[in-house]
Amino acid sequence: MTENNFNRRDFLKLSAIGIAVAAGTRAITQVEASEGGSVKGEHQWAMVIDQAKCTGCGYCTLACQAHNDVNPDIQWNKVLEAGEINGKKVYLSRPCMQCEHAPCVEVCPVQASYYRDDGIVMMDYDRCIGCRYCEVACPFQARSFNWEAFDGENPAVPEWGTPEVERRPRGVPEKCAFCYQRIDRGMANGLTPGIDADATPACVVACPTGARMFGDLNDPNSNVSQILRKHVSYRLRENLGTGSRVYYLPVDDTTVTTEG
Amino acid sequence: MKKFIKTIRENIVTPWGMWLSFLGVILLSALVAGIIIFWKGLVVTNLTDLVPWGLWITIDLSSIAVSAGAFSLCAGVYLFGLKRYAPIARTATFIGLIGYTMAMLALVLDIGRPDRFYKAMLYWNVHSLMWEVTMCVMLYLTVLILESMPIFASLEWLRNKFPLVAKKMETVHHYAPVLAIIGLGLSSLHQSSLGAMYGVIKARPYLYKPEMAVLFMFSAIVGGIALTLFASMLSGRLTPKAKVSDILVERVAQFLGYLMIGYLYFRFWDWMATRYMHEPGRTEAYHLLTVGPLSFNFWFGELLLGTLIPTIILLYKPARLSPFWRMLGLGLIVGGVVAFRYDINIVGQLAVMSYLPGEAVVSYTTYTPSLVEWASGLGIIAYGLLAFSLGVKYLRVVDHRLTSEEHEVVTVESKETVHA
Repeated sequence: MTENNFNRRDFLKLSAIGIAVAAGTRAITQVEASEGGSVKGEHQWAMVIDQAKCTGCGYCTLACQAHNDVNPDIQWNKVLEAGEINGKKVYLSRPCMQCEHAPCVEVCPVQASYYRDDGIVMMDYDRCIGCRYCEVACPFQARSFNWEAFDGENPAVPEWGTPEVERRPRGVPEKCAFCYQRIDRGMANGLTPGIDADATPACVVACPTGARMFGDLNDPNSNVSQILRKHVSYRLRENLGTGSRVYYLPVDDTTVTTEG
Repeated sequence: MKKFIKTIRENIVTPWGMWLSFLGVILLSALVAGIIIFWKGLVVTNLTDLVPWGLWITIDLSSIAVSAGAFSLCAGVYLFGLKRYAPIARTATFIGLIGYTMAMLALVLDIGRPDRFYKAMLYWNVHSLMWEVTMCVMLYLTVLILESMPIFASLEWLRNKFPLVAKKMETVHHYAPVLAIIGLGLSSLHQSSLGAMYGVIKARPYLYKPEMAVLFMFSAIVGGIALTLFASMLSGRLTPKAKVSDILVERVAQFLGYLMIGYLYFRFWDWMATRYMHEPGRTEAYHLLTVGPLSFNFWFGELLLGTLIPTIILLYKPARLSPFWRMLGLGLIVGGVVAFRYDINIVGQLAVMSYLPGEAVVSYTTYTPSLVEWASGLGIIAYGLLAFSLGVKYLRVVDHRLTSEEHEVVTVESKETVHA
């Protein structure tokens, strides 16, 4: 036999088999649309954080740690100092931005990060392979990896709440998901997220100064829609075009002085 | 007792025995490190949430890059009809097989849930560069295994015990042109995509540029060919089992020299373009490379020693004709590609962009691999060296007397012992 025996027909046969196998595998799975960003469903949840009211107390983080049973080494919601205005410290509280075009969703090789139709960027902790590409890709450092198993006690429990979700296993990154479990359970009981505490993210409920607001952008009468219409707001790293769903109301001289 | 000492002296205190023992010690310590990693978790590494990709990813990227000789040389031999270089393609294919298995080993250590590796095959995210790389690498590994079948068929034991199986494995050789086409496609895709994987990361300004794909592809080709030639020449010097045709190697080395000019051009272009961008985050990372902690690696490892000097060596005929200088040049190219992979992976992560409003504050973080990372990483390299050494000794991986015609002879005389 020489190499010439491998003729065109063999090549076509082989190619056909290859294509058939590829197509077959493709048919088994369904590719969710992630190119065009998240799918727009009935609700579009968003959070507004008023920096003028934020005192940097960190209650939001503590409530989050308890309700989502987060390892004390990890913070889904981080409170950072963001400069000073008129000698008064300004804080910036940072949950996951729930981006409309989320880099983490785009890069995930196994679709373990995905969009819900209400805009929440979710993590399937049972599917994630732990490659940490999402962590490298997130512009907001909103993801934390479980370098080791969290099997100790959660210091935030029970003072700041009781866990509502399962702990994540070792070897996967985790992040804030707008307390989707509270939203889902609350709505199933006829409650409205952003109005009824039991249907609203724990950090919003815990905020003692009312600096955090939550609601549906699709509803023009919702708390967040009204505030965003009235106030100047901004989003973090807007230039990247990720379309985050967390809006900030900036501090200005007047708000600082009136707030005392 | 005396007999025991005699056995030791005869079998271990030989260059081959010492080499195997040396690799054995490294592999053993890597095994211990591996057990610690799977037992304790990735907490034993020095990786952080800011630098989640470290030494292992560098080994992974580098071993894939320097395996690129397999597809480029196979394409040259089987698609462009440069048949007389077939023995070099044989070496390259074997190195490719080793390199990709090394990459797999590095990934098994690196990913948090290696038990879920198969999920990429079930849940396709076609927009993820990493998904694309995963699929291509898996498919290409299959191609490499097929391409290596004729190599494994030259194992004497197999030919004596199962002559029919060996013969069957030999016949895969006839599909070499098709495998070369598939290999060329898959390799072009994933070698570029490994660069694009970094190139699409908006969060890391230094990495966020389209030329990453081109640079990865080009550097992989030169690195892959260089390693193939270097390993062939080194084996030729160390063991009579390897038969090296200096003329063949010299010709490919000259071609590599011309390729290096192309590579130099792209590197120069990338460097100057980055120099004048002055973008927050990107400029800071660029400074880490040019004047910061990575500057020695960048100027000497990547550019001067890794690119410029070997290009001159390979294109200056008297230097190229000298085996010493040629080997030096080839070795430097491989080193340069590894340095490039290390720098690219680490520099984008070390300069951390702030997301605070109105501030282009960039902070710096650090990363030094932990002992466990080094031990396991060196173990992966030791595995590669061991596999290649065994290949040279038992599979005639470096044998430039083999031409495609001689392959046929080998098939016919399948029961005859081949005296190397």
